[in-house]
Amino acid sequence: MDVEQATADLRNRTLSEIPRSLDRLIYLASMRDYNTGLYYHDGLASRFTQDVACEALADCHREAFAHLVACSLRELVDQMEGYISSTHTSARDFVTAWKKLEPYRVAVPVETDPVTAQLLFSSFKIALAILEARLSSRPAQQVA
Amino acid sequence: MIQLIFFLTVGVLLFSSLFFLARRKPRPEGTSDALVEARQALSSLQAGLLPEKLVKRVFDRGDWEYVKSEAPKPVRQLFLEERKRIAILWIDQVRNQIKNLSRFHRGSARHYAKLNPRTEMSLAFSFFGLVCSCRALQLAVSMAGPYAAPRLVGAVANAAERTCKVSEQSLAFLNAAQLGMLTNRAAGSALSRG
Repeated sequence: MDVEQATADLRNRTLSEIPRSLDRLIYLASMRDYNTGLYYHDGLASRFTQDVACEALADCHREAFAHLVACSLRELVDQMEGYISSTHTSARDFVTAWKKLEPYRVAVPVETDPVTAQLLFSSFKIALAILEARLSSRPAQQVA
Repeated sequence: MIQLIFFLTVGVLLFSSLFFLARRKPRPEGTSDALVEARQALSSLQAGLLPEKLVKRVFDRGDWEYVKSEAPKPVRQLFLEERKRIAILWIDQVRNQIKNLSRFHRGSARHYAKLNPRTEMSLAFSFFGLVCSCRALQLAVSMAGPYAAPRLVGAVANAAERTCKVSEQSLAFLNAAQLGMLTNRAAGSALSRG
């Protein structure tokens, strides 16, 4: 019951401000400690408990991941364009960095089915290639 | 002389069969390992591989239409290569998990569940049919790409789902708490085997 309340609280207070699944996925993955796999959110932990907050964050992370996997390639490309414009970095720099670092690989919830994870990684790879092709077909001044 | 060669060859063949049989890993028939493996295969199929959303995404022609209309040739090529890779991975995983389930039903199900011979026979045919269909689908995808056999994809997914449902009935006695206990026991026995 507590976890449900915490999840609802997280959705209403925080995630409602983040409309895109991609942004949600990255935000929720950033709440996870890479060494332990546990999620931390001070505000949520103070209203509930650390364990409950952790479970609520994990639930929302899985949900955001499932939403993103269900997106078509067109939707994923649109989400990436929206995300790029929200980061205030140049689209070219963004695409180059994401192609090299593949940061989406660490944004996957634990115990994700390997085929599902591979499908999303592959879709990101294709989406980046589409964005890169779009950028190279545009004049340089329009890109930044 | 010919007789001697013949008997020596038979002897060598028998000896090598014995050697390979002796070296073979013990199969987890009737043990907690077999149950855990079967339950994991079932949940991997039902929760991970067979949901319609995932199957639709892997084999969705809409994505290809989008790439064709939006991207240059190298990206189109990349898309087809990537989707082919994912499609083959999906087929491989489905086939492996079906084989795991089938192994359980061949070796251990009778220790735990009372399936009537008719259900057992029907399951055996389903497993065999599914493995063959997966092979055929894999061949079609490898040769002609991810959109080569959409009907076969649907047929494999539906048949696998139906088989999972029948198989689930024989594993229904194993609830979550028991599964947790068995998983720990299986992990323990794996550790002790080194």
